[in-house]
Amino acid sequence: KQSCLMGFASHKVLKIVAAPSAVNPQCSNLNRGFHRAALRLQDESKSDKPPSSSSSSSSSSTTYHEHYQATEHDTAAEASQHDSASDPAAEQPERPNTSYQDQSGEHGEEYETEEQLQSRILTAALEFVPLHGWSMEAIAAGAETLGLSSASTGMFYNGAGDLVLHFIAHCNSQLTEILAEQHKQVQLGQAEPKKTADFLREAVETRLRMYIPYIETWPQAMSILLLPHNIPDSLKHLSSMVDDIWYYAGDRSTDMNWYTKRAVLTGIYNTTELVMLQDSSPDFQDTWSFLDNRIQDVVNMASSAKQVESRKNPNLICGLET
Amino acid sequence: MAASMRLLVRRAVRLSHRNITLTAAGAAARSGCCRGPSVCRCFSDEAEDRSTHFGFETVSETEKAKRVYKVFENVAQKYDIMNDAMSLGIHRVWKDALLHVMHPQPGAQLLDVAGGTGDIAFRFLEYIRLQEERQKRRAARSSQTPSWQDISNNYSTEDESRESRAVVCDINKEMLKVGKQKADSLGVSAGLSWVVGDAEELPFDDDQFDIYTIAFGIRNVTHIDQALQEALRVLKPGGRFMCLEFSKVNNPILSSIYDAYSFQMIPVIGEVIAGDWKSYQYLVESIRKFPNQEEFKGMIEDAGFYCVKYYNLTGGVVALHSGFKL
Repeated sequence: KQSCLMGFASHKVLKIVAAPSAVNPQCSNLNRGFHRAALRLQDESKSDKPPSSSSSSSSSSTTYHEHYQATEHDTAAEASQHDSASDPAAEQPERPNTSYQDQSGEHGEEYETEEQLQSRILTAALEFVPLHGWSMEAIAAGAETLGLSSASTGMFYNGAGDLVLHFIAHCNSQLTEILAEQHKQVQLGQAEPKKTADFLREAVETRLRMYIPYIETWPQAMSILLLPHNIPDSLKHLSSMVDDIWYYAGDRSTDMNWYTKRAVLTGIYNTTELVMLQDSSPDFQDTWSFLDNRIQDVVNMASSAKQVESRKNPNLICGLET
Repeated sequence: MAASMRLLVRRAVRLSHRNITLTAAGAAARSGCCRGPSVCRCFSDEAEDRSTHFGFETVSETEKAKRVYKVFENVAQKYDIMNDAMSLGIHRVWKDALLHVMHPQPGAQLLDVAGGTGDIAFRFLEYIRLQEERQKRRAARSSQTPSWQDISNNYSTEDESRESRAVVCDINKEMLKVGKQKADSLGVSAGLSWVVGDAEELPFDDDQFDIYTIAFGIRNVTHIDQALQEALRVLKPGGRFMCLEFSKVNNPILSSIYDAYSFQMIPVIGEVIAGDWKSYQYLVESIRKFPNQEEFKGMIEDAGFYCVKYYNLTGGVVALHSGFKL
């Protein structure tokens, strides 16, 4: 019964979906809402989650209501009213219009929010950075590869800053993935745990290597990050990256060490980045040896600090005894 | 004789009475103005002869289009001078702000609806020309010894097909005539076209333009939602809709100064410079009948635009709305 209901639903949907290009963009909101609702139904029928679809195949309105709730977290915040249950699909996060959809070729595509579309444009823009630098022209070229007009760059109120921050966030998430993967390997016993100094060294090197494709234009990106309105965001990204590295290095300290460790690593990272900018050795060998030296310095400082501490204490004890 | 005198007196009393009550209640009427026409529509006798507002008057919709046409036919010759006089030259700042927010990339196609005398189109072409010059200078500076790729790029003629173009569309031939004369005197002709067309039914194919602008024109359109739908139709995916229009001033002090200036000074300036009191009375009344920033933003979103945002200029006297077709 359930399968024949689903079959019926998908059959109905196919009929509607078969003519998306014929849907006149000038048709009323209700019509559009229905078109989107139909696509949502198809989404449901295509998904391989029997429990949810069984409960939702009962009535059409509950179908998209539940699906709407399931993807609540991605809803664009700018849609004003979210109340009418009769036409919830119309308030859904936007969907690229039909001609753009035809270009991508898939009808059952997930709805995407404006933020997702923006991040797709920025990702596409990255390949034009060597040509145009970190600028609106690169974003315009990226938008055009996605089939959007260059006027859509107006969505990025921060201009080039948006592009650079997007790239930084992307690099950070890549780094976190790599570190998490390594951590899992160690947990499973498939890899040896590294010493802290080596771990830090490799993490910073991995992260800085992500800049190599854009190293020519990286000074421009750094100057954009230093603009006053970008400083809060760039500091946020930097501090979260340093925090991640220390977390995966095994740091669980809860005292002053938390701050000193992160401050030290921030210093190492920033200075190494600057050295990398004007490094012309093959495969940036000079940069990595600079990094080695800095980490060695920190290790030496830490061990000599410990020595001073331990040498201090015996005197104290003597003083107390006498 | 006595009867005609009585008629005249009655009409004078009615006019002055209407002026006083309506100007005083102008702001209060604004909130109900959007629902007004639809209520009138329900009560009107003939199906096709619905009524709408023409300034503070109520007229049928066909009548409104005709009267708006006549207004702009009358003011066309003195339009630019009046703009400068009424706004004390600030309208130039508003239009420049529109271009800055737009930030068009070279190769963009602009459709300026209700563009009349071509102010926006001229600024657009100038902006793009400066952008291209800046890009060329940057390219020349960075590559002192051009690589093989740069040389091959210079030889390629791809740029020709992507020249920026501005199309000025207006329903009023007189305004377009004035605009063409201005273009000739400025020596601007490349990439500029003049088209007669109705904003509610544009004579263009779908997905043609990168940017659609309508500056100080949309409040004269009888069916604003139709104009917005047409804008959505002719824009390419990713295209931008931008609308510059007089809007609601929130600050009470500024608002009272603005109201006094609008109703006392502007028709007088209109009479002195252009010899047309009534057209400028219509102008200031139509500003009061137009929906405020948030309502208009809602209308744009209803038409199907995304990332709709508005900027208040000069404290809300003018609002710049922007939306994207995604």
